Parts: sequence; C-alpha cells; structure tokens
Amino acid sequence: MLFRERLLGTLRLVRPLFDIPGVLVVGSEVPNLLEPGAAATLVVSQDVDIGVPVDIHGRVKDVLSGIAGLRPARDEPSVWLPEPPGLLEVNFLGIDPSLRDAGESRVLDDPVLPLMVFGPLSLLRPGPRLVLEGMAVPVPALSGLLVEKLVTERSGMKGDRDLLVAMGLLLVARDHDMEETAVLFRSLPAELRHAVRSNLTLLSLMQPVRGMPDPTPHRRLIADLLRTLEEHGEKGEGA
Amino acid sequence: MNPHPAIPSMHRRVRQVRSRAAVRAWEYRQRHLAKGVWFRLRRLLAEASSAWEIPEAACSRLMTEGFCPEAVGEELEPRKTLLFVPETRLSGIPDRRLLPLRLGPELLAARHIALVRFPRLDSLRRSASCASEVSCGVHDRPTRRGSPAGQGL
Repeated sequence: MLFRERLLGTLRLVRPLFDIPGVLVVGSEVPNLLEPGAAATLVVSQDVDIGVPVDIHGRVKDVLSGIAGLRPARDEPSVWLPEPPGLLEVNFLGIDPSLRDAGESRVLDDPVLPLMVFGPLSLLRPGPRLVLEGMAVPVPALSGLLVEKLVTERSGMKGDRDLLVAMGLLLVARDHDMEETAVLFRSLPAELRHAVRSNLTLLSLMQPVRGMPDPTPHRRLIADLLRTLEEHGEKGEGA
Repeated sequence: MNPHPAIPSMHRRVRQVRSRAAVRAWEYRQRHLAKGVWFRLRRLLAEASSAWEIPEAACSRLMTEGFCPEAVGEELEPRKTLLFVPETRLSGIPDRRLLPLRLGPELLAARHIALVRFPRLDSLRRSASCASEVSCGVHDRPTRRGSPAGQGL
C-alpha cells in the first residue's frame, strides 16, 4: 500500500471526528496533505496527529467511542491503533488556548483519552479545510503550524524531524502564509522569537535525513525567511 | 474514575518538555554572552550560500580592500576571520577551498573563511527550485560596517 493510501485511509477511519468544530489534523502529515493532490511525498511518518481543543475533549471521546476499528494502545493511551492493516497510528494531542510556551505543557488526565497538552499547540488556528477524495479535512493555517514547529523545544532526532517538517511546510507555503507567519512571529514573546530564529539557523545547516525534505537545496529560502522575520521586529529589541 | 495507568509516563514526558523549555529560557538570557556565540555563528552561516577557506595572505588583502571581518569570529578561540565577499572577487583567489556549510570539523578548523551571501529573493514567495531564481542584486561590497546580517546578533 502506498504511503498516500495509508494516510488517506487513516483519515477516512477517523473522519467522524472532523465533524466536531475545533478538531484539527496537525503535525508532520500536514505538509503531505498540503502538497498538490495530497501527494504525501514530503515526510515519512508512521502516525497522524489529531489536535483536540481541551474544551471539546468530552465530545471527541463520545465520537471516538463510536468509531469501529480503532482502539487505544495499552502503554500509550493518547495513541489509538487502527485494526485495518496498513493504516497509521492516530496520536491525540491537547490544545489549550490559554497556554503558550512549552514550559506550560501539562497532562489532561482522563481514564479513556488522556492527552499531552503542549503549550505551543495553542499557536494553531483552523485554516481552510482540505477536500481530499470527497473528505473535508480540517487542518491548521500553515503559519501557526510552521511557528509551532519552530518554537517547540524537543531534543535529538525528534527535534530534527520537527525542523524538517517545518522545511516541508516552507516548501508548500504561499505568499499569504508567509505574511501571516511574519505577523504571528511579531506577536511572540522575545524568547520565542529567538527560538524561531535559532531553529531556522539549525535547519539551514542540517544534513539530509532519509524520508524527510532535504534542506540543502532550499537554504536560500531559509535565509530569506530569517531576514524577513528580523525585519519584522527582531532587530533593535536586543533579542 | 481512576486515572489511566499510563498517566505517570505522560507526566514524566511533560516534565522533560518543561525542563528543556527551562534550559532554553536560560540560554535566551545568556544569548549576548559566550553561550550565544554558536547562535551568532549559525546565523552568519545561514546567510551564506557557500563558505571557503582562504589563505591568510588573501584574507589580509581582502581586509586591505575594505572587507570587514564579522564580529563573531573574534569571539571564537582560536579566532577566525570571517568575511562576506562577492563571488566574482572570490573567484580571483586561486587557493580557496570549499567548506561544508555546517558546524563540522572542517569549518571549525579553518581560520580564514570567505562567505558568499545569498541574494535576497524578490518577494516572500519562494519556490522549491529557488536556486534557479534570478538574483535581485544584493551584493557584498567592501565596507567598514561589516555585514548587516552580522550586526546585533
């Protein structure tokens, strides 16, 4: 089964969740979905992240209980495993708009669907739904997802992968996405603005990773984004 | 209702995320001090399409011509001289050697480095094949001010 079929098959399985306003497909699969025809050639990832605003957590649990062919992993209760072969794991993440920084991350304790609530996910806002094979998939606006990937503090290979997902987003971004990114960047606290710039420099110097977008041919794009963001308020603020 | 038995591991992961955020906050407070030098060096390199090790004599000649060393080179030990130089000028230096653009052993061992700056794209719209786009005319010239990108970093 092609990766694209696995991805779209997984989305079809969880499709009832997409009827709940606020639920978003987030994370590394979004660049794949934003490619023309959701070609899914940019990022190799074995899960689909679903963002759940904490105020609709109960509703998501109700709908989830009615989806056949999906059950929670024993050791990782925020990850649900598909029963049909070949589909991807579904990873649920909490979104709390009152949080902002990674330092404010927390656990939403629940016996059925506990969630890791990461502060930077609050940067996400719903974008236009993607219509894929007759299915309307809620995804965040690219700008929020890009900035979220660039402020999220992670280590090692996971951190590298996050930056390469940001690279994938840059490759599918349009003018208005970059304008929104610059505006969002300006709204961040100075420490997070610095984190964005620092992570972009890391991305610029990163070596290729198999199955991920290669930043090397696109370093000029990163340089231009850095200059643009710095013109949007970083210089002169001592950050 | 009882909590899920895997909850402790989720709390442990959250603590790890918080501790990394705390380290980042500390690094941010240190950004103008020695701890920030690696960011400043990466920022400079991110601006460069290529980096070249050049002989000391050629480096001195470039400075005589007015090319100004980037401040971050002075912060490293041993010191490095890092200069932004136009590609056309660089091509006149016969003994130059291309360096991989990453913080690897070759770049860190080089003492005299010429950098070629990316030209600015003419709009925020970029394409996957941006390397084929036309330069919009940003050039490095001899200056006493150093690189705009190198200031205040």
